[in-house]
Amino acid sequence: MNQENFWVLLSKKLSGEASDSEMDELQQLILEHSEWQLAIQNLEDLWKHQQKNDDYMQGEDAYMLHLHRINELNIPFGDLPAETPVVQVKNNRKWYWVAAAMFAVTAGIFWITKNTGVKPENEKMAGQVNEVSTRPGSKSKIQLPDGSTVWLNADSKLDYDKNFNVELREVHLTGEAFFDVVKNPQKPFIVHTGPADIKVLGTAFNVKSYPGDKTTETSLIKGSVEVTLKKRPGEKWMLKPNEKLVVLNEYIQQKREERPAIKLQTRPYLAIRQLTYQKGDTIAVEAAWTQNKLSFEDESFLEVAQKMERWYDVKFLFKNRTHEDLMLHATFTTETIYQAMEALQYSFKFKYEIKDKEVIIY
Amino acid sequence: MKLENDYIRKLLSAIALHNDQSAYKELFLLLHGRLKQFAYSILKSNEEAEELVSDVFIRIWQKKDQLITIQSPIFYFYATVKNLALNRLNKQKRQVSLSAEDWFVQMNSIYFDPEQLMMTEEMVRQIRQAVNNLPPRCRLIFKLVKEDGLKYKEVAELLQLSVKTIEAQMAIALRRVGSCMQLEIKPVTRISAGIKKS
Repeated sequence: MNQENFWVLLSKKLSGEASDSEMDELQQLILEHSEWQLAIQNLEDLWKHQQKNDDYMQGEDAYMLHLHRINELNIPFGDLPAETPVVQVKNNRKWYWVAAAMFAVTAGIFWITKNTGVKPENEKMAGQVNEVSTRPGSKSKIQLPDGSTVWLNADSKLDYDKNFNVELREVHLTGEAFFDVVKNPQKPFIVHTGPADIKVLGTAFNVKSYPGDKTTETSLIKGSVEVTLKKRPGEKWMLKPNEKLVVLNEYIQQKREERPAIKLQTRPYLAIRQLTYQKGDTIAVEAAWTQNKLSFEDESFLEVAQKMERWYDVKFLFKNRTHEDLMLHATFTTETIYQAMEALQYSFKFKYEIKDKEVIIY
Repeated sequence: MKLENDYIRKLLSAIALHNDQSAYKELFLLLHGRLKQFAYSILKSNEEAEELVSDVFIRIWQKKDQLITIQSPIFYFYATVKNLALNRLNKQKRQVSLSAEDWFVQMNSIYFDPEQLMMTEEMVRQIRQAVNNLPPRCRLIFKLVKEDGLKYKEVAELLQLSVKTIEAQMAIALRRVGSCMQLEIKPVTRISAGIKKS
């Protein structure tokens, strides 16, 4: 009887429903049963602990669709804020683009303010480099002045200056981004990365070029792209849809010097490969992150760890280096790092520990 | 993040008084995930749940003037989602189960770092198992109170149950979770389980 009552009272206390007399009664029960102390403490901690807010991008996307619906249903939604830039509208889905542009500008301003402390004044920005960056664990979607869309993956940076869309459309990328470029043969679109330049006319493709990664990858979903390497000027590589160009980065050893150098020799400097698709998936593994999927198919644990570091904002430490070469495949969407690590253990048994923001592999 | 009625009221009054679109967006981002999850538990369709949440927010914009009078915004949102969802099911003449027995929800706050709360991995695993094994209605009640910040009487009204039932269901949920947390508490559970059987 006491015990049943105890749980009723404790849940009332935690939910803020208990009256004064009920609080007294509970206090009395607790005094009589010191053995409950630990469970009570843990339950109170658990109660106070709240999951961090839902995925930011999902909410943003949903909001954009919501604005689109409001417009379709002809519901008056007030005027647009004054700082909305003029966006060239080329189709009927006007609202969608305006909403996207609003978000892009907000994201841009947010990051510029955040990173450099520069005031987001329009005139001031026009003469400057526009920079959008993401932290580990977050992603962003950007609308460029020409209407092209860029999804920026975690821990990445994209910038373009005021000359963008004057004669050329040039952007600089560090990290990973998926581009859906509006077709305009008069103004080629060029993505500059450390080791390579990618020139396109109008197409959808993914570029992954993180400093510290083994490779720089350009994956083509549709259209065509032309890649030139800084190291090999004068040569051009054209990609067909569903192909990717993989270039071995040289400075990898400085960054992760503890790794044996022999492995690096076994890879060619440059290769064209097919994109990877998981069974039943219509989107290539290379671009899956734009749909909020962290996806890998037969990649080494070391490569997977690098992806997961950015995705979850954690650091991996391999105490047992033989595990670095384990080949893994998996797809994660809403899983937490804990769920993800547990899932990885289904394919391989390894010991691990998560401490703070560090994942230690034994 | 726990939902706060006070905070939501502030956003609502900014929308009502100043047509504040950024407050409107913030409110949307704050509630979208949970409301969609709740709508989904009734509608069992992702797409419809998404549309329904959008409908709720269209209503919010259209009825701006009335927003300030809402006493408990959180309850207002959940009640609106429920009503719109049931209307929708009725219109579609889908076989509707009005009973919350069939509304399956997931608890989100049980996925956390054991270290954060100074618990062992094993304990956390057991907590998750205990929560996920709760009967659907019990889990729904537990979630609405713990994660969504609804009051007992609001949950009772929402699910058409008595406040006493909510009390009892909350006690069951807490007892099952609590029994994972300490070895000494186990005899207690055994005794109460015995009582239930007889």
